[in-house]
Amino acid sequence: MVNYGGDEVSALVVDIGSSSLRAGYAGDDTPKAIIPTSYGYLPAPPDADISMLDVTEGKDPVNTPKFAKIYIGQNGPSIWREGMEIGNPVIDGLIQDFNPIPPLIEHALKEVMRCTPSEHPTLVTEPTWNTTANRERMAEIMFEEFNVPAFYIANTGVLNAFASGKGSALVIDVGQSMASVTPVVDGFVLRKGLVYTALPKLVHAHARHTLASPTQSRRAIELLPHQLISNKMPIEPGQSPRYTLREDRMQGTTESWRNWAEAREVDEWIQSVAGVLDQGWNDQYAASRPAKQYEFPTGYNTYFGADRFHVGEQFFWHSPQLASNPSLPKNIPALITESLRACDPELRQVLMGNVVLTGGGSLFSGFTDRLSTELSRTFPHVRCTKIHAPGNPVERRYGGWLGGSILASLGTFHQLWISKEEWQEHGKAIIGQRCK
Amino acid sequence: MAASAADVRSALSIPDATLAAGPSQQKKPAATPAARKPEGISRELYSLIGPSAPSIAAQLAKPRLKQKPNLTGGGKVKWEERPFKNAARKDGLELRHWVKASTDPAAEYPFAKYNVPPVSYTYSQDEFTRFLEDKEWTKEETDYLFNVVQEYDTRWYIIHDRYSYPEGTPRTLEDLKDRYYSVCRKLVRNRPWAGDEASRGQLISTFQFDKERELTRKKYLLSLENRTPEQIAEEEALYIEIKRLEQNERKFKRDREDLLRTIAGIDSGLPDIVEDDGGPLGITVDTKKLRKKGSIMDMDSPATPSALSISTPLIKRPPTAKNTAYDAQHCIIRTDLSANAPATKAAHQAAYIRSFKLPVPKAAIAPKIAQAFSELGLSHSRLVMPTRENCAQFEALLEATTALVETKRVVDKVEYDIQVLKGQLGMRTSQPAEGEDGGEGEDAGGGDSKTNGDSMEVDDAPENEDERAQSVVSTRSGRSRKHVSSCDV
Repeated sequence: MVNYGGDEVSALVVDIGSSSLRAGYAGDDTPKAIIPTSYGYLPAPPDADISMLDVTEGKDPVNTPKFAKIYIGQNGPSIWREGMEIGNPVIDGLIQDFNPIPPLIEHALKEVMRCTPSEHPTLVTEPTWNTTANRERMAEIMFEEFNVPAFYIANTGVLNAFASGKGSALVIDVGQSMASVTPVVDGFVLRKGLVYTALPKLVHAHARHTLASPTQSRRAIELLPHQLISNKMPIEPGQSPRYTLREDRMQGTTESWRNWAEAREVDEWIQSVAGVLDQGWNDQYAASRPAKQYEFPTGYNTYFGADRFHVGEQFFWHSPQLASNPSLPKNIPALITESLRACDPELRQVLMGNVVLTGGGSLFSGFTDRLSTELSRTFPHVRCTKIHAPGNPVERRYGGWLGGSILASLGTFHQLWISKEEWQEHGKAIIGQRCK
Repeated sequence: MAASAADVRSALSIPDATLAAGPSQQKKPAATPAARKPEGISRELYSLIGPSAPSIAAQLAKPRLKQKPNLTGGGKVKWEERPFKNAARKDGLELRHWVKASTDPAAEYPFAKYNVPPVSYTYSQDEFTRFLEDKEWTKEETDYLFNVVQEYDTRWYIIHDRYSYPEGTPRTLEDLKDRYYSVCRKLVRNRPWAGDEASRGQLISTFQFDKERELTRKKYLLSLENRTPEQIAEEEALYIEIKRLEQNERKFKRDREDLLRTIAGIDSGLPDIVEDDGGPLGITVDTKKLRKKGSIMDMDSPATPSALSISTPLIKRPPTAKNTAYDAQHCIIRTDLSANAPATKAAHQAAYIRSFKLPVPKAAIAPKIAQAFSELGLSHSRLVMPTRENCAQFEALLEATTALVETKRVVDKVEYDIQVLKGQLGMRTSQPAEGEDGGEGEDAGGGDSKTNGDSMEVDDAPENEDERAQSVVSTRSGRSRKHVSSCDV
């Protein structure tokens, strides 16, 4: 027990990201519950009696005034419902809307994990750029609504470093909406070196634009989700699709659900087709790579050649006419350079020797190879650049959760929990003092 | 007897009596039936193999198997979920964990001991006004600094990152470190000290911080980082060039030494040549200049010193006067390295016994030498008392014998030649017409010029055997003489 420093107190770890909410027991290697952060809801009629319509049990109606009904989890947003809107509490990595957070956590802990939160100390993660108000609100939710005996809020940058077994690391986290570079030293984030942009959103927008605009060889692609298609015919690649829409559903489909569904189609296309060249852009090389076939829910299918590599190029290189736009999110090499410049010169070598690549967005095909090329190109003076990128997709996507799982199962960590007693005694101030 | 042993076991409640009894128990019952004739063997056959047949005994003895693992008892460990309190916590939070039921519930939480609070320094207002006044730092900001240092446990990078004193001037990491350590130093120096001065000095030295030096170091680091790829490439190229030049130089030197050895003999003062050869030194000077020209900051790169250290020539130190006096006083006799050892390699000469290095006669004349020694009544291979003098004498003797044997051989050959020539002369006098051509032909075909020369010598002074032997020795076996002298001087 003492040998590996672990002492499990059956703590819970909750990691909320832009795309999914992960929850599980500390000490496990995989979260038990992974549910989408997006949720479906029926907006409450403005003059209706909220408490009557609110059927989700155990929920304080005061905190959910917006929803008449909320749909969460695997059968939440992905199922078409008439008039259902889609919401996401996390914008740019931060929780902007705390109303759906208690139902989301409750769903993960009670419905999926079937445990009682009031019996388990709970560790929640936060992005490095989280605000004080946000973390205090989160503590309030956990203590007041879930009655947890102890609570801690830990930084995803630090947790990702821990998940790869490092105390000091340069954590490159590419998520669904945000890409961040966080220098971590001795388990603390160097806040001056933290940089983050909404780069994955740019990549997504670029991919969507690529698909939705016609080229010489193909037409513009309709990004209709399968929920809106009643039947389709198999067709040859490049032929115009033959399918029938579900006219009955078109009427009740909300704009937000349509957007969410189309974004999902784009994401799936990115995940299966898009890639990045490992040596930088080269027309000849891109053309020589094999084209990939992809079929959309409409039945339309075609081969994607060099197009698919243009998408990944957005992560690493912006064309000069784009780069003149000041609101353009910085690309990955620029982020790393900026982050390192803010660090002490002595630390740079250490950090570059401990690069941790994490986040679901980094599973983009060819990303790791390209990153190592870019690092050796941008920082030729760094003798050994070592990138730690877990090959296991679960470890890569849920690195923050995994680090939390490690941290919360350490025997020496148990003195850091903020207990309910301390919360009641000191109030919100204790969060800032304890969770540095 | 067996029964009594079993009794003892049962009394002591040792469980596996039959297994523990082992071979000693089994042998005795096996021996008794073997003494009688077993069933199924004819009397004749039994009398042939007799009672000592090992195969039968082996058959009758039970096979000894490995002891069975004890799976039933002792493996059960009871675990229970228990609430525990952490001594490292100030509140009364009780968490629950699973522990072995055998552990002591009152024991302190095992991880609490890792909660080591850092040593912190505090100072009073009075101390501050007396020792710690600094125009750069107010008392409030110093207090703040000490709080932050305490909070982040002297992790300076974090402290510098989180340090934000309201309305304060921006501080560099070195400013913070300098202030903190100087305050600590002053406090230790000016406070009454319980221990001795040495420990106080030691403590102060742990708070030593040279701000200027740190800043210079950081500056160098930065300049190292700011090299352009061209500069780095040039540096690499220069480094490789140095290596190449050094290698060339070494090769050249080796070739020259080989050449010198071939021309001038074995120990023709090679160490001197090595010493006055300023080649590698000159090269490093050159490359240094080159590097300077290439980029000034390269001088600080770690590659430079290593390149220099490699090229440092290995200088052979001649024995100084002091050494000689010391040696004479302590009866130390130094021998030079054997001239056979390659001079380029700084070969380490291991300790050896003097008698091991006695010269061995050439294989061709060894039996003759042995014969000569045995005629004198000596052993040619072994010295009873190989002192230095004895060894020298033995060597001299060996050398003289070798010379003698060689001389004898030459004399024999010359005498034979004389006989042949006399015969030819006789023939020539009898047949003067064909004598001239035949004589020339014999001379041309008569082997090497040396024997020819020898024969001439013999013709000149046929009587003086000793002198001739001397001269032969002096001209031809310079090598072996050198060898002897170098081996044991």
